[in-house]
Amino acid sequence: MQANGQVTNASVKVLAQEGISAQAGFLKKHRQLIYKTATPMAFILLLLALWQLGVRIFDTPKYLLPAPSDIWQAARKGFPDLMQAAGNTFIAALLGFLLSVALGTAVALLMMASKWIRWGIQPYAVVLQTIPVVAIAPLVVIWLGPGMNSIVFISLIVAIFPIISNTNLGLSSTDRNLIQLMRMYKSGTWMMTWKLRFPYALPYMLGGMKISSGMAVIGAIIGEFVAGIGGGKGGLGMAITSAAVQMQTSFLFACTIAASLLGMAFYLTVAAISHYSLRHWHESAIRPDKD
Amino acid sequence: MNMTVDEKTTVQAAEAIRIHDVTKRYENGTVALSSIHLTIEEGEFVTLVGPSGCGKSTLLRIMAGLDQATSGQVHIQSHAAKGNEQASFVFQEANLMPWRTVLANVALPLEISGAPVAERKARALAALEKVGLTAYADSYPRQLSGGMKMRVSIARALVSEPKLLFMDEPFGALDEMTRHRLHEELLNIWMNSRLTIVFVTHSVFEAVYLSGRVVAMEARPGKIKEIIPIEESYPRTNAFMTSPAFGEKVRAITNTLT
Repeated sequence: MQANGQVTNASVKVLAQEGISAQAGFLKKHRQLIYKTATPMAFILLLLALWQLGVRIFDTPKYLLPAPSDIWQAARKGFPDLMQAAGNTFIAALLGFLLSVALGTAVALLMMASKWIRWGIQPYAVVLQTIPVVAIAPLVVIWLGPGMNSIVFISLIVAIFPIISNTNLGLSSTDRNLIQLMRMYKSGTWMMTWKLRFPYALPYMLGGMKISSGMAVIGAIIGEFVAGIGGGKGGLGMAITSAAVQMQTSFLFACTIAASLLGMAFYLTVAAISHYSLRHWHESAIRPDKD
Repeated sequence: MNMTVDEKTTVQAAEAIRIHDVTKRYENGTVALSSIHLTIEEGEFVTLVGPSGCGKSTLLRIMAGLDQATSGQVHIQSHAAKGNEQASFVFQEANLMPWRTVLANVALPLEISGAPVAERKARALAALEKVGLTAYADSYPRQLSGGMKMRVSIARALVSEPKLLFMDEPFGALDEMTRHRLHEELLNIWMNSRLTIVFVTHSVFEAVYLSGRVVAMEARPGKIKEIIPIEESYPRTNAFMTSPAFGEKVRAITNTLT
């Protein structure tokens, strides 16, 4: 696990002291890591090269399909705008994500606490998932007005379902034997929830968060399409819209890539938090990936 | 039935548990237990043995207050009378929380009852010492073998310093060697304390080796068929397991059960 990325001299020394078998294991692990990183890198480089070559050979107009080098240039030229837009989207998505975690967990806890609430809410949680967000987004703008509030709210709507669904699943799948154990020790509802159900549900919750982290970014960008405002306050969604209108296809590509990188950053952060909090006990965080 | 087999209760043998005419009937009409009478004395090691479906686990759970009898009374006597706080239960599985360290698992009952942090730690460590696992206090359950997990489970049961210990086939899933080692450890813990242990098993050998009295039960409906005293004194050694007395008891109980 710790051998990811750079390896200090000290750790190499320690490994060397541990004997040949440890060193061989380390090299083997390291080699696999190199292959695993190098293969997709080589693949994307090949793809980019073919793209660049194809555009140059067929002389495709820039506004139809820019070459990777054009996208790179557009990103460099418009870098301050791109960063500002990405920053705005980041804030909206982060707020949307955090709110969906807080609210989604609260709803799932209420659903666990009372079967009436569960029966009452469950169908609508599913309905929430099936309504096309693009369709209710204008409604949100009418209610909350254009700008941050609406964008965060739309991001929240998009991201909350996996949180409710997974937390609910986690809270309701607590080991019966452990429940019995807690009852035997005269545990009250609060103790039962806090000391048993919650930790038991944690891997499920983190799974839900992983899904909704990427969705929160998508939700924020959809929100910006509909409710974004210009003048340095717009996010990537806004930048994409205006680039499309002005036929700045290269910059549009740059924005899309930035959006996807942002989503990935969100996901990787949540995945890292998940791994960190489960590293001692949950199978998902203990077993190394098998090929 | 009130004979004192256990040699360490020489002062006076007070009743720990008295079961009077207990019947357990399930909603589908199955009679799990039919008219059970049993008295267990303080400091005794009693084992309930019988085929599956004889209601031995159900009887144990009723004694521990984990299950309700359909009719009849269960008296938990003397200073052990205060609810079930003086009683602990060891399940078939170790039932540890995988996210807690060994120490935190053992401290769980104290945490629930609201003991101060420092006291929790000290008492949990003391309980771990009884099962010889102090070195593993900071380990996680997944790092332990089946036998070690069961030891942690026993330490957790002992941490609240109970008067009564109920054990429901705790060693059933362990290999022979581990089981035998745990038998000796359990007997040691029992001899060094004032514990009353009620133990459920389907192994006649286990029952004879461990207990002062063996309660042989039969199935459909669950009934006590015979109570067999094992007169062999404690501490019991490996020699007991190969002695004619041991074989005779095993044969007698096996004959009763079949």
